[in-house]
Amino acid sequence: MIVTPGGAVGADLLPILWVAAIGIFLAAAVTAVVPRLSQASPALSTAAALLSLGLGCGLLLTGASISWSGWHALGFATIAVHYDGLSGAFLIAFGFSAAAASLSVVGEQPRSRAEGAAFPLFLGSILLVLGASNAFAFLLAWESMALLSAFLVVGLRATRDVVSAGNLYLAMTHVATASILIGFALLAAGSGGSIDFSAWHLAAPALSPVTRDLVLVLVTIGFATKAGAMPFHSWLPRAHPVAPSHISAVMSGAMIKTGIYGLIRLAIDIVGGSPDWLALLILAIGAVSAVMGVLYAVMQHDIKRLLAFHSIENIGIILIGVGSALLLNAKGATELAALALTAAIFHSINHAVFKSLLFLGAGAVIHATGLHDLNHLGGLGRKMPVTMLAFGIGAVAISGLPPFNGFASEWLTFQGLFGAAGSGVLAPISRFGAAAAIGALALTAALAVACFVKATGVTFLGLPRTAAAAAAHETTMPARVAMAVLAAACLVLGLAAGPVAAALTTVARSTLHLGATAGGAAGGAAVGSVASVTATPQAGTAATYAALVVGLLLAVAIGVIVVAAAARSRAAARRVDTWTCGIAPKPAFQYTATSYSKPIRLFFRRILVPEREVRVEYHPGTAFPSSIRYRSEITLLLEDRILRPAHRLGISGADVARKLQGGAIQLYVAYIVIAVLALLIWAR
Amino acid sequence: MSGSDVATTVFLTQLQLVTFLVFAPFLAATIRITKARLQSRRGPGVLQPYRDLAKWWGKLPVESNASGPVARYAPAFMLGAIVTAALLVPGAAARAPLAGWGDLLVVVGLFATARFAIALAALDSGSAFGGMGSSRDVAISALAEPGLVLALAGVAVAAGSTDLGTISAFGIIHGVGLLGPAHLLAAAAFGIVIIAETGHYPVDNPETHLELTMVHEGMLLEASGRSLATLVFASELKLVVLAALFSAAFFPFGAATEMAPGPIALGLVVGLGKMLVIGQGLALIDATIAKARIMAMPDFLGLASLLALTGLGIRVLMP
Repeated sequence: MIVTPGGAVGADLLPILWVAAIGIFLAAAVTAVVPRLSQASPALSTAAALLSLGLGCGLLLTGASISWSGWHALGFATIAVHYDGLSGAFLIAFGFSAAAASLSVVGEQPRSRAEGAAFPLFLGSILLVLGASNAFAFLLAWESMALLSAFLVVGLRATRDVVSAGNLYLAMTHVATASILIGFALLAAGSGGSIDFSAWHLAAPALSPVTRDLVLVLVTIGFATKAGAMPFHSWLPRAHPVAPSHISAVMSGAMIKTGIYGLIRLAIDIVGGSPDWLALLILAIGAVSAVMGVLYAVMQHDIKRLLAFHSIENIGIILIGVGSALLLNAKGATELAALALTAAIFHSINHAVFKSLLFLGAGAVIHATGLHDLNHLGGLGRKMPVTMLAFGIGAVAISGLPPFNGFASEWLTFQGLFGAAGSGVLAPISRFGAAAAIGALALTAALAVACFVKATGVTFLGLPRTAAAAAAHETTMPARVAMAVLAAACLVLGLAAGPVAAALTTVARSTLHLGATAGGAAGGAAVGSVASVTATPQAGTAATYAALVVGLLLAVAIGVIVVAAAARSRAAARRVDTWTCGIAPKPAFQYTATSYSKPIRLFFRRILVPEREVRVEYHPGTAFPSSIRYRSEITLLLEDRILRPAHRLGISGADVARKLQGGAIQLYVAYIVIAVLALLIWAR
Repeated sequence: MSGSDVATTVFLTQLQLVTFLVFAPFLAATIRITKARLQSRRGPGVLQPYRDLAKWWGKLPVESNASGPVARYAPAFMLGAIVTAALLVPGAAARAPLAGWGDLLVVVGLFATARFAIALAALDSGSAFGGMGSSRDVAISALAEPGLVLALAGVAVAAGSTDLGTISAFGIIHGVGLLGPAHLLAAAAFGIVIIAETGHYPVDNPETHLELTMVHEGMLLEASGRSLATLVFASELKLVVLAALFSAAFFPFGAATEMAPGPIALGLVVGLGKMLVIGQGLALIDATIAKARIMAMPDFLGLASLLALTGLGIRVLMP
């Protein structure tokens, strides 16, 4: 085990953390299948995830990196890992998500013993993906992660819907892997057959532009599919909702981030940048994913499907950061590129925290009521105050409201875009792309507010819409603790935006292979102090967001108003029924999730293409309806226009391939003869 | 921060807090009076908004049986967010009282916080009207937000910073030379956004209680007593802050550039005067055009986004 640079305070402990985390994940997997020890498995996973979190923080704080290689016995390849700052940043995202998810199921019985064991192995495989430093280790960990997550989604006793969601996920994740594999093969060929990432990095400048662009396109497709970016997203809103909530939390919080990690590692760290058109394409993918993701999310009334679409949105926001970093880096605006990349990494961590929180909140709601349709919920806040508060904080954070963490990273993303739009070195089309992305990001943020007012309000406020919702109860103590910790993290990461951004800027700069100190004169990078984060989009001018001060001001202002109102009179408010035009209030009078999203459904009808069907049946011979059926659906344009045709093409391609694979032995002999003849002619 | 900087910050903060809070109901009154005159009514007196607020503040609220802590504390969150935003926007001087602690994105974010609070509170009582107002408000704001941010992005790109003080100072230095097409398009877009964000015609009717048309009022329907006073005052203050933001970003002329009593006093008078002009503009629009159907909002507010994007496009393509 090698630690570089040695001697940093505490850096010597990092390998121990890593080995312990791996070991404890394995122990958690083993205990899960031993009948009398299975209760200990989630607690062990929690511990291992916390060690990973510690490892991530340690890598960031000490600036050290650890590497190890071994398992030469395999003969043809070795496992090599190298954890640096970038790994550390994503380990923090992973650690928060995995620790909270594992903690939330302490004391719960998993659906089956095999699933209990697969969960810690899945977590361990993510830990490995984030540090793998050669193609063999990466693909081994990557594929384990894909297969284990697919198994966790489907489980052992699955219904047909779940199996079909799982199959789609498996198919798409393998398209992703195949695409990455081809990209890796091209890189290996270009570096004399080496599978080490470091060798690829050294050989990258010598690659022909065509090969380099092809590699970049392939890895972008592969990693964007894993990340769930549009138009490669269709597996995500199907797979996330059917998995148990703590698994959705890790998939959404940590697993899809490995796609972002992979893209940053390959495109920026190893290959060292992309052509303008691809950077613009990534920016466009980000903008489209953000806007369409949140639009579809607003339309959902299944709480977990809603959250799944929000993952697409947030991946979009992250990709806007990555895209602008690539654009700026290619033109030498490196400080600004570091700013944009910092934003992307920061948002990855933030999304891991609040999305895991929201999925655990959704899990608590489903646990308490057995329902996941928002239109059947309502009024849960009375019965589940802790869940409501935690979910509310997650909702505020994901909506990008100050002083929580989502705002801090969106602020940085905006600053990167402002810098790109005003940058003199960028091509006009790139500047305009950045300008348009500003509008897309603003629209996304506002729609996220709409969506989370809806999700929080319809679930927790008002009157319960069903008996099951009325009989809700608070979730288990470990799950409440897990949510409380994540909610606190949303606030702390928001208020500490300055130091966090400063640490992540160091990571972004080293990922971009810049020197250790900020250039300053060129203007750009995020500079954090204890209380604030400053961005310098153009030379000589800076903008500052003092998160701590804004948070304090807000708290003081709210406190003064509350105290003033309380001081005005101490008498309790008179309580009456809600005014419903003179009749007794009924839960059915309330706006449902579907009615709440109606204005947005109509405003964006050209994109959403809503379909509505109202069928009324009457008592014979009267005007009194006996039954009214209402159906409302939106059209998923990208799926219909891009993915389904691609799917059909794939199927017809497979049909052609099947004709080649006739099954008759003579046919195969003929193929061999043809192949041998062709080879002889070619080699002559 | 040196001693004089601290003194300036403290002084400007106190000045802005007092003038904005006192001025907000007055601005609301002038709009109502002008609107009434244009409709051949006498209208209420200048002090009516103050009397309303005092009356509500003195009353014990009536709460719904269905509602809980969200409805009770959300008004404080809304007003708190807008008061915080008020201190981050330049008023009398070409710098925000709390300069360097938050830029225009923080102000936009605080508006969103205020909106989140009131929209969520409207769902707490289980009233159909609350849901109606809340759902419309968040949808309209979603359409307005790109216009708001893109319009401000135009001036931010020109000034090279999202800091509102920097933007104001830049505007004052460049003077009328600033008033190119990019600037005017962005200003027009911002004007539309002010209408949408403060609930004026043709987006919303600030005086209606007709369920088919109400947006903002729908959310206030279940609020009473102190809560109502807080929410109404927050809305009045929001107009003042938006108007100040408009002046600071697009027409900063008159704002003090040196921190001396004379220029600051002048800047304050000019700043409040500009707000009154904006208010009169809103009253004129209120009185002269019809309220549009909610279905027309995408066209109206999409126009704002397109104007702002065109402005920003001109700015970035022809620097």
